[in-house]
Amino acid sequence: LTAAPSHSVAEEERRARANDREYNEKFQYASNCIKTSKYNILTFLPVNLFEQFQEVANTYFLFLLILQLIPQVSSLSWFTTIVPLVLVLAITAVKDATDDYFRHKSDNQVNNRQSQVLINGSLQQEQWMNVCVGDIIKLENNQFVAVREVALQGNKSLPLFWQIEMKTNMKVRQAIPVTSELGDISRLAKFDGEVVCEPPNNKLDRFSGTLYWKESKFPLSNQNTLLRGCVLRNTEWCFGLVVFAGPDTKLMQNSGRTKFKRTSIDRLMNTLVLWIFGFLVCMGVILAIGNAIWEHEVGTRFQAYLPWDEAVDSAFFSGFLSFWSYIIILNTVVPISLYVSVEVIRLGHSYFINWDKKMFCVKRRTPAEARTTTLNEELGQVEYVFSDKTGTLTQNIMVFNKCSISGRSYGDVFDVLGHKAELGERPEPVDFSFNPLADKKFLFWDPTLLEAVKMGDPHTHEFFRLLSLCHTVMSEEKNEGELYYKAQSPDEGALVTAARNFGFVFRSRTPKTITVYEMGIAVTYQLLAILDFNNIRKRMSVIVRNPEGRIRLYCKGADTILLDRLHPSTQELLSTTTDHLNEYAGEGLRTLVLAYKDLDEEYYGEWAQRRLQASLAQDSREDRLASVYEEVESDMVLLGATAIEDKLQQGVPETIALLTLANIKIWVLTGDKQETAVNIGYSCKMLTDDMTEVFVVTGHTVLEVREELRKAREKMMDSPYAVGNGLPCPEKCSSAKLTSVLEAVAGEYALVINGHSLAHALEADMELEFLETACACKAVICCRVTPLQKAQVVELVKKHKKAVTLAIGDGANDVSMIKTAHIGVGISGQEGIQAVLASDYSFSQFKFLQRLLLVHGRWSYLRMCKFLCYFFYKNFAFTMVHFWFGFFCGFSAQVGHPQPLLACVRDGLCPCMEYPKLYEPGQLNLLFNKREFFICIAQGIYTSVLMFFIPYGVFAEATRDDGTQLADYQSFAVTVATSLVIVVSVSGWTPATGHFFIWGSLAVYFAILFAMHSNGLFGMFPNQFRFVGESLWLLRELVIYIIFLVLSPVIKEHSV
Amino acid sequence: MKRTSEDGQSKLPDNTALKQQQLPAYRLQLSATGVLSCFFATGVFCLGMGIILILSAKSIKEIEIKYTKICGNCAKLREDATNFDKECTCSIPFYLSETMQGNVYMYYKLYGFYQNLYRYILSRSNSQLVGTDLKDVGNCAPFSKSHDGTPIAPCGAIANSIFNDTIILSYKLNSSIPIKVPMLRSGITWWTDKYVKFQNPSSINLSSAFAGTTKPPCWAKPVYELDGEDPGNNGFLNDDFIVWMRTAAFPTFKKLYRRLNRIQYFIEGLPAGNYSFNITYNFPVTRFKGEKSVVLSTLTWSGGSSLFLGLVYTVTGAVTWLASFSMMAVHLTLKDRKVLFIQQ
Repeated sequence: LTAAPSHSVAEEERRARANDREYNEKFQYASNCIKTSKYNILTFLPVNLFEQFQEVANTYFLFLLILQLIPQVSSLSWFTTIVPLVLVLAITAVKDATDDYFRHKSDNQVNNRQSQVLINGSLQQEQWMNVCVGDIIKLENNQFVAVREVALQGNKSLPLFWQIEMKTNMKVRQAIPVTSELGDISRLAKFDGEVVCEPPNNKLDRFSGTLYWKESKFPLSNQNTLLRGCVLRNTEWCFGLVVFAGPDTKLMQNSGRTKFKRTSIDRLMNTLVLWIFGFLVCMGVILAIGNAIWEHEVGTRFQAYLPWDEAVDSAFFSGFLSFWSYIIILNTVVPISLYVSVEVIRLGHSYFINWDKKMFCVKRRTPAEARTTTLNEELGQVEYVFSDKTGTLTQNIMVFNKCSISGRSYGDVFDVLGHKAELGERPEPVDFSFNPLADKKFLFWDPTLLEAVKMGDPHTHEFFRLLSLCHTVMSEEKNEGELYYKAQSPDEGALVTAARNFGFVFRSRTPKTITVYEMGIAVTYQLLAILDFNNIRKRMSVIVRNPEGRIRLYCKGADTILLDRLHPSTQELLSTTTDHLNEYAGEGLRTLVLAYKDLDEEYYGEWAQRRLQASLAQDSREDRLASVYEEVESDMVLLGATAIEDKLQQGVPETIALLTLANIKIWVLTGDKQETAVNIGYSCKMLTDDMTEVFVVTGHTVLEVREELRKAREKMMDSPYAVGNGLPCPEKCSSAKLTSVLEAVAGEYALVINGHSLAHALEADMELEFLETACACKAVICCRVTPLQKAQVVELVKKHKKAVTLAIGDGANDVSMIKTAHIGVGISGQEGIQAVLASDYSFSQFKFLQRLLLVHGRWSYLRMCKFLCYFFYKNFAFTMVHFWFGFFCGFSAQVGHPQPLLACVRDGLCPCMEYPKLYEPGQLNLLFNKREFFICIAQGIYTSVLMFFIPYGVFAEATRDDGTQLADYQSFAVTVATSLVIVVSVSGWTPATGHFFIWGSLAVYFAILFAMHSNGLFGMFPNQFRFVGESLWLLRELVIYIIFLVLSPVIKEHSV
Repeated sequence: MKRTSEDGQSKLPDNTALKQQQLPAYRLQLSATGVLSCFFATGVFCLGMGIILILSAKSIKEIEIKYTKICGNCAKLREDATNFDKECTCSIPFYLSETMQGNVYMYYKLYGFYQNLYRYILSRSNSQLVGTDLKDVGNCAPFSKSHDGTPIAPCGAIANSIFNDTIILSYKLNSSIPIKVPMLRSGITWWTDKYVKFQNPSSINLSSAFAGTTKPPCWAKPVYELDGEDPGNNGFLNDDFIVWMRTAAFPTFKKLYRRLNRIQYFIEGLPAGNYSFNITYNFPVTRFKGEKSVVLSTLTWSGGSSLFLGLVYTVTGAVTWLASFSMMAVHLTLKDRKVLFIQQ
């Protein structure tokens, strides 16, 4: 090592030596003191203000305020700007301050937690913030892990322990075998191994490092590490070496992840605001030119009564100043406050989603959660839903249902007549009373399987032995005989439970052994290796040595993968098992294939050596390991297959039917077999028997896939249902035309495509063809897809269809899809919370999707559109009056009416569950687009014309009934403002909840009006409140009411 | 276990109407007959109002005489500011063919005078005008202080530019001796103006109250000598001054000047006959190409109003009817078609 790398330079690798603080300090690793707070008392004001003024809206207000402080430009009293600005800043600051206060509090709490650190050979209590990289700390059961650490040693009796990730998901972690032998504290204190590992990153499930100790290297993997924020379970204690501390830990690296998904309305709004800004500048220029001309023609002559301001020396300069004055006056036309209002509305809708009782899952006690507050109205525009199957459409509660053991299928239930029995008329379930360790909740109806076990059939025994050995399930035995299994995946749990009931009870495990009670006799297997499951391998294996000393590899995995790696001698068995597999999949069951392989001692020894080398490799360790695994998992002997039932979630078919009625297209992307997927498709009503045809694409080559897609398209066009224009499309018709034809296909089609075909279909030259075909179908099922393909499919639709996409899933393999789609929905279910963490909305059952889209989505969309239209309308109506007045006051930047205050919360409710068709306007973006915007603007301008010119026409000649003057500026301004408020409030009216707001805002308006015009305020500030008595005396005038009255039909005409 | 169930309970959202979005809502169910009858009713109402308003506006008798050109020599004289001390009078005879029944009001009307300019409107001091602080001339630029630094009272551009013509109406009863038509100069202001917004500074007499201030540059007399006849009509409480200070909204405006005192010959109003305006021409308007006129007018129940409002009502009513007729036509044809469709 040359020099200690400074922290600013990107860390390439991390070195931490145990019990050597001096050595570790050289690297200046982050301490464990975490600081999530942003401010302290001194820095709060400047930092917070600086942050707030990075918002465009605030800067804009500030700019206006500065303009207003120039006396020649100022055209409104400065408080009309400063009051809202200060209000917004203060509210935000208070919110930030409270947030930060709580962050301080939690930081303090976390930093001051106690942990036991090994210092100078003895365990000492130390606060979390003082723990350093390289320290050895002791953790006890149910304690939070303070840092990311490498587990050195576990409790001797229970060397494996669990950690609970984020409170829902258990993961197995294991101490490094070599250090487990260290024993007592004094020897641990002398431990001077050095860990070299990857720099801090945010990948929760990855870790690669090497431990150098006593001149030898030991591999470290994710299996050996504990993550910060997890809780230790199932072990009394463990010692660990701190590798990452504080901000470098994976939890901290993952928290605070902000991603910005913007809705289409957001983007539209940005464009519109720019246009309006242009419009504002245009108005300013027109009025400035008007001012210059007026000053030149009239103003110069009028100087006896009103000399020009000292700073003004020419009409041109006066025009220039009046431009800025008008920018101030007309600033309300640029709806900067719109962004704030829109955010508030969205936040409100998010709360409505969180509060919804009908989206609360009683069983799991989880309410729906809007994790992103900015996407609500896009929920009302969804056209494509991409759904995962397992755990999303289904419950992900696995039940061992059928199995095939060496060519014989078990699990079918026959009634007396020999037909397959239906639910409800089943005979008594199999009696497992012979087995005291059996799980009472496990039900199985085929007695022949148990008979086979009892008969001692070697294949059946081996079958269940495999199930009881090849897994990563943990057992917990609170009382004698009361076994609880904790499994990382529900499939494993179901299989191990099945083995348990059939007499092969998995009892306990250590890092080196597995104890199984085989028909009541305890047998301890030596565990030599676990070849872990992952999404690419799609299989897992264990290598065990039985008490007789024979080494055997047990493997279970997906049929596609496993059937290729069998020994050629089992060809006959293979074909029957394949038949069984297809039969199971056809019933919608999830299948796994089981196989074993005997290894001789010599080969194993050699292989174990290679495996160790691969796991110590610094680069591409994963690939090397995979190839080593692949080598041993070959030429296996087929044992049989299992079929697990994953029941559909409640309400799924109804939801899918409803969403289909709402013209939402549902694509299911699943990793399951084609038959399973199709079957689920039928059972959840995605596919129906009424469908004209279900196309299945299973081609293995580009040409095959292309041909299949072409045929599907041809069929769709040739069908008598095709409406088209009646003319058959000639062979050479372009793909663009093809689309239009396909859009018009009337029959109901569905497309099922396999993973390997999908890979070809997603290639650049075929993706459009695929998309056209798929989009013409009512339902699309992609099976055997990888997580990456899921994301690719979503991306494809997103890119070419300009439609809003929603992805829903529950597992880690759905994360990429959830992140890609416009809206990601996470199901908080059995598979942990990775999907939820990546999602924008989360709830616990698929059926809530209908409420999310059809109720909340639609309402959000409707309200947002209504609000936007109303907002633009209101702004234009109010602001344009100033513009018109400009032509009557020598363009002197006089306001047409005093700035009124407006409450503008509107409501629009309409049920959509009963009428799913009502969802369509959102998909077609009908309610707020550029056309609607211009209509609103036109209405606003029209209103402003009426609101200005009708009072103008009346006031020009009118006098009060005692003959005194009425056409004075103050009366005119108040009349215009009041009629504007009335008209604009009332025209925003739709349903009755609005009554409250309309009369409310009118009442507030009049209250403020009278207050501002009261004698008291005038007495105090005669120069500010010049409108004293105006409203009171004005509203005694009959003619004013006549003016208001004439405006009401105007409102009606525009609202009808 | 019990604890977790409690947690679950607390996670359960409240069942309130607001949180579950079940606030009572009411959706307008528009039926064709409802809308049509509503439209018809509105149309009837508007047409009725329009006719009433037009009739009442027609009943107003009004006479306006523009005197800028008639008094051309005076106008010319006033164009030169140095002639401010030269008096110029002008007499305008006219014939009133019909009696003006009831209360008659005399207005002066200015054309092209911008009382609504931004800086003009601001150029006044309300705290001075309520008599609390005579020296407060902060907002009054550019007429806040005289050259020697004494504060102007009343300060500001509005006060400085006060309309200062004197208009006297005389009636020739027997084509011989003109009778001065009795006019009231009181009751021509808004109540709040006279009693809240404008107050004289308290002192033994007005001239001492205004000590330490000077008159606006365009004024001939200081503010406490505005009315030589009625000492109560002086200072900030002068009615003409208050009327002027209520700035007009548009460049063409009329302000109430006098109202008829209905005594002697004038109990019924202004009888038909020969009249003349005797005008002391002080206020220059030709400089800014403006014009001025004097207006005599009666009022109706809704005050003085023009035909405009009546026309607006009539037009609105007519349009509403037109719309409702066309809607009815559409409705009926659709209904027929629907019947046909069902029959098929």
